Amino acid sequence: MEKKLGFYSTLASLVTSLLIVLLFYTLAMQKVQENMMYTTVDVYGGMVFVFILSMIVSASIWPGVIEKRMTKR
Amino acid sequence: MEDVTIKIKGMMCGHCEKLIREAAVAVKGVSKAKADFKKGEVKVSFDTSATDLETIKKAIAATGYQVLEEPQACPVPQPAKEAAAIPPEEGAKGGELRKITLSISGMSCASCAQNIERALNKLSGVRKASVNFSLERAAVEYDPTQVNPKTIEKTIADLGYGVVKRDITLKIGGMHCASCAINVEKALLKTEGIASANVSFPLEQAKITYDPEHVSISDIKKAVGDVGYTASEKLEKGDADREQRAREAEIKRQRTNFIIALLLAVPISLGDMGRNLGWTFVPEILKNDNLLFILATIVMLFPGRQFFEGTYRGLKHGVTDMNLLIATGTGAAYIISVAGTFFNLGEAYKHTYYDTAALLIMFIVLGRYLEALTKGKTSEAIRKLMGLQAKTARIIVDGAEKEIPVENVKVGDIVVVRPGEKIPVDGKVVEGLTAVDESMITGESMPVEKTVSSEVIGATINKTGMIKFTATKVGADTALAQIIQLVENAQTQKAPIQKLADIVAGHFILAVHALALLTFFFWFFVGFEYFNVPITYGMGAESPFLFSLLISITVLIISCPCAVGLATPTAIMVGTGKGAENGILIKGGEALERAQKLDTIVFDKTGTLTKGEPALTDVIAIRGTENEVLRLAAVAEKGSEHPLGEAILKGALVRGIEVPDAQEFKAIPGRGVEVKYGGKRILIGTRKLMIENGIDITQVNSKMEKLEHEGKTAMLVSSDNELAGIVAVADTLKENSKEAVHELRKMGYTVAMITGDNRRTADAIGKQLDIETILAEVLPEDKASEVKKLQAEGRKVAMVGDGINDAPALMQSDVGIAIGSGTDVAIESAQIVLIRNDVKDVAKAISLSKLTLNKIKQNLFWAFFYNSVGIPIAMGILYPFTSPPYLINPALAAAAMAASSVTVTMNTLLMKRIKLKG
Repeated sequence: MEKKLGFYSTLASLVTSLLIVLLFYTLAMQKVQENMMYTTVDVYGGMVFVFILSMIVSASIWPGVIEKRMTKR
Repeated sequence: MEDVTIKIKGMMCGHCEKLIREAAVAVKGVSKAKADFKKGEVKVSFDTSATDLETIKKAIAATGYQVLEEPQACPVPQPAKEAAAIPPEEGAKGGELRKITLSISGMSCASCAQNIERALNKLSGVRKASVNFSLERAAVEYDPTQVNPKTIEKTIADLGYGVVKRDITLKIGGMHCASCAINVEKALLKTEGIASANVSFPLEQAKITYDPEHVSISDIKKAVGDVGYTASEKLEKGDADREQRAREAEIKRQRTNFIIALLLAVPISLGDMGRNLGWTFVPEILKNDNLLFILATIVMLFPGRQFFEGTYRGLKHGVTDMNLLIATGTGAAYIISVAGTFFNLGEAYKHTYYDTAALLIMFIVLGRYLEALTKGKTSEAIRKLMGLQAKTARIIVDGAEKEIPVENVKVGDIVVVRPGEKIPVDGKVVEGLTAVDESMITGESMPVEKTVSSEVIGATINKTGMIKFTATKVGADTALAQIIQLVENAQTQKAPIQKLADIVAGHFILAVHALALLTFFFWFFVGFEYFNVPITYGMGAESPFLFSLLISITVLIISCPCAVGLATPTAIMVGTGKGAENGILIKGGEALERAQKLDTIVFDKTGTLTKGEPALTDVIAIRGTENEVLRLAAVAEKGSEHPLGEAILKGALVRGIEVPDAQEFKAIPGRGVEVKYGGKRILIGTRKLMIENGIDITQVNSKMEKLEHEGKTAMLVSSDNELAGIVAVADTLKENSKEAVHELRKMGYTVAMITGDNRRTADAIGKQLDIETILAEVLPEDKASEVKKLQAEGRKVAMVGDGINDAPALMQSDVGIAIGSGTDVAIESAQIVLIRNDVKDVAKAISLSKLTLNKIKQNLFWAFFYNSVGIPIAMGILYPFTSPPYLINPALAAAAMAASSVTVTMNTLLMKRIKLKG
């Protein structure tokens, strides 16, 4: 069970983080086009930082949620 | 008369036997009671016309032990309905059977084993259960998808038997904040076979209750190791030294780290800021990017490595702690600077943030250094207690003195102690006279005189003469060992107020990262443009990413779960430690919290407010002098074994009166005594005795009544049928009783007295002490219900008693205070144990509880206040409202974070300076 939990948690965290990064990227690229102060370096730097923070947050949340679901089943 | 055997559950030792025996004997009509903890029973002889079995059982049950139903019979099995509701084991596969073996306590015969077996076999999911009575084991084969070990244990417990559990205290290494303690606790509680786990971050200890049949100590250590921390067994011998060495090593390590960080952070800051701000006094070499990179890398690799290692260990095991906050913050500042140094990222990225990374590390390491220094001081009391232990003892072997290690002293050994030496173990003096300094155990500053039959306490210091004593308690049974155990337990136990702190600390790291992410999003997409940051903030704010990143880092850095985590346990450690130094043992945070809410203090009279033994108080002469009257009374009572007679004799001897022997001693039940002395007939006793002997007592009636109104027992003395005088005895007040009651009243408490004495005596004592609420004529077994009545009125009651006779009342009360326990500190029924026989310590104990709880509240307030103010400011909440816009510098945030946990610990340490009232 532990292995499954670990796998699902990592997968869910990765997907969540990538979705957040994608959201960031989409919004940021729009900013780059609208405002000269925003550069692509800002976008890529931001993507890395957002990914790290999102992974930390989602990796803390998902295991508990998945564990509960697995127990219910 | 009837003899019955009552089965009792929960007796563990001789002390339990004593408690139950005394509770049974205290019931009116019970003539004899004999408890046997090994058999788990008490044999009682009682008069059926005076009491019944139910009353006796009730009195025993009030001591806190479980009275099993049918005497001489095994409990009837009842299927556990609630147990069936417990979910089966998580993750278990259907069809896969598991086996467990449980140690069972409380079985008295083979049919008990059959009862358990039958009940277990009835449980759905149990394939086979067999219980071995002689081995006291149950082997159960079960389907984990249908039933779990907890259900099995509950079924056994519901039948009235116990599943044996053990306690262990482990030293936990690698914890850096309250979140770490919670991580370890969670990991332990997830482990099968662990019933409870309490992890103390400041003590670096985990107190675990586990089932040895389910989980071994190495499994427990592995569970701790799996989440990235270390666990080792606590060794009793030399533990204090080892702990001290470990603490000193940690202080040294953090000091070295701080010095390195400081030495490097100064040039890095000068160089980085000098270049960014155009400071001309800074040498050009320091402004070189490559040099700054090298210096900052050294800071990250040496003093800063601990945070990254901690983060790695945590993440590897799926746990987060404050290392992650620091690593994310400092790592981000460092990486963006490295990228800026070696890659052309554009104009905005020419600023580097090596100074931010270096200063963050420097301040956080400084915080850890100060924390290590102050944290050691909070547990100083227990280390002092451990250090009191004598290393060697001199015992008599074959008539000669032999020095042996203190651990080798056995009960019954004759120990020799010379003046100036430490008494190695507890014992009873058999030879010699001396004065002993017991201040380290009882808090009593004056040396206590010891003579033959006096009890001596291990770790106290023999001051004046040489003594020989028989060792009565050695090893873990000594008063000192028990005090250490009790204080350690109290310090590991969590106060209910800590629950809030635990919830906050448990989710703190996650919440802070989420806030940092939100902050980053806000400043990147909204704030930077909306507040026109490059214009309003100016220098160094050309890039929206860097600007948002720095604010986000500040949020990560300023948050401090440490302060929240340290607030309660450090205060409990200092409070209980300070108590132990003053002879006040508080059994944990719950007692502290309850003591805070008290409004009524109920004192048991005999032995608590009074000395508990009658003493001569008055002599009134009708004929002759007072001494002549007293002499006659003493002569008559010399052959008596009655406590009143002994008091008169003692009173005469104290006054230097010679008391010759009398002839023809005759005790007249309910009346008094008659003797022949010097050819005369001496009578001493009640009015009735005198009237029956034709003696006129009208002239002394008013004097007798006056004495009786004062709560004294007055006796008439006559010689040859002529009234000679009156002698009176009474249970006298303890030296400090009046002062103690006065102090408590001054503190705003309602003081009550509870006693089995008649109303007149009780009122008289109450009047002397200025106590208004007197609960008189209360039988020992009814004391608990009197306390209950007070509680029903909405009062929060503390009961003060000797801890043995008053056990049910102490347990019923909100806070039970056992007084004058001396070496018997492990009184189960009390939450506060006062070692000294001084009533004034009650006020001191309550003051200490209040002081500790106030300190906890202050600490929690500051910790929450700091975080709830610091985090929003770090997020930039003041930016729109201040001109020039205000943002906290990350380095300043690191300094504030370091200061917050140190402030909480320092605030706690201030408690040490306060003198206890009372």
